[in-house]
Amino acid sequence: MPDDPRLSLILALADDELILGHRHSQWTGWAPHIEEDLAFSSIAQDEMAHARMLYRVARESGLTDRDDDALALGRPPEEYLNAVLCERPNGDWGYTVARQYLYDTADAIRVQVLGDSSWRALADAMKVIELEEKYHRDHAVTWFNRLAEGPSLTARERFAEGLTTAIGEAIAVFEPLSGEEELVSEGVLPRSNEDMLGDWLGELGEALEASSLDYVLARHGPVGEMVPTGSGEIPVESVDFTVPGVVRRDGRWMHEGAFAGAGGRRGRHSEDFLPLWEEMTALYRAHPGAKW
Amino acid sequence: MVMRTDVREGVGREVWEALAGVHDPEIPPCSITDLGIVERVVLSEQAIDVDLLPTFAGCPALDVIKQEAEAAVRSAAPGHDVRVRFVYSPRWTSDRITPAGRDALRSYGITPPGSPRGDRVVIPLAALLPTEGATCPFCGSANTVMESAFGPTLCRATHYCRACRNPFEAFKPKTA
Repeated sequence: MPDDPRLSLILALADDELILGHRHSQWTGWAPHIEEDLAFSSIAQDEMAHARMLYRVARESGLTDRDDDALALGRPPEEYLNAVLCERPNGDWGYTVARQYLYDTADAIRVQVLGDSSWRALADAMKVIELEEKYHRDHAVTWFNRLAEGPSLTARERFAEGLTTAIGEAIAVFEPLSGEEELVSEGVLPRSNEDMLGDWLGELGEALEASSLDYVLARHGPVGEMVPTGSGEIPVESVDFTVPGVVRRDGRWMHEGAFAGAGGRRGRHSEDFLPLWEEMTALYRAHPGAKW
Repeated sequence: MVMRTDVREGVGREVWEALAGVHDPEIPPCSITDLGIVERVVLSEQAIDVDLLPTFAGCPALDVIKQEAEAAVRSAAPGHDVRVRFVYSPRWTSDRITPAGRDALRSYGITPPGSPRGDRVVIPLAALLPTEGATCPFCGSANTVMESAFGPTLCRATHYCRACRNPFEAFKPKTA
């Protein structure tokens, strides 16, 4: 884990964008129609650019001496701090759109909060990112409405399945960072992850209830911890259904206790990460320090 | 746009004109000064520093623009140490595009972003239908729909004109 909590924060943000951007780019040439091909390709291009901006901020702030290529492509798997949600394969269109909706609505909250960060360079980058992310969120909301409210029951069911699969790991986007208390007390992270998660889950619950899809919150995936990447440990399905992580209380959906797919912020990843990392970094590993 | 020309005004003007000769490779008629991405030019005895603002963070033209801006400034002010860099503050918004830049976009078949204030177009009858679409760069109608917020470059969206039945592109509005 990085010694400086600011590095943990900015790598979590940048790695989320890089890894999800990589997944989005895998739709290039394969999306159901050409507009979506363009949409996911463009969103991927934006996300990777945001990652690059943030890696540069990390370097220019003196937190690392590695450049953006070395940070994006030159780290061992256990040093990537992305949320597990971002590394999952695209699956079907229902899962892709569900994940994009969950990620971009969650991202919107932290981008807005970090626009007020006491870390000036990070705040400036977030204000640029905010204007571009609006288009991603509009895209996701359009698809949410079309699949949730559209005439096709099959589409709605597949979207609901996608939401069910993704929701637990989407909650873990807000998994606390190492050294988070220090970040919050110094105003670098103006609001804690738990606090932001409360807002997001409240909004999400309302959107799902409006489409009668809130049942997906009650039956999301198992809660568990990722094993350390590359450790050789076998993942244990340590499922404790008594702590589902999400509860409905006083008419509002809330987070309680555990995280599904937790560990991303500490470099612990799912079985899907290593193949992604191997492909993504193959060229850079074959030619260390290569420049375009 | 702030231009500090207090040191040597003549050089300042030449540098600015050199930058005005650099065009966005993705929108050739549009110069970088008209796009509003030249934020600051600082002249000193030995050096010229130019701060540019990226339109979209992932725009692949940024590196080309930086190189061409450096070359243009160097040839306009030989003997100076020229440094061109991109900065993120203030953030670029699409209302920084000048009226000349909006004309240049339109001449390339791309509808300028945001409010059409100051734009002169001939309005056909079809445009009087109550719609809020982007103005068609071909016929001037506002009876248009956005087909996709994405397009051939990060800064353009895809639209369709119901009046003249042409697909067209519009520069994406980027404002707070």
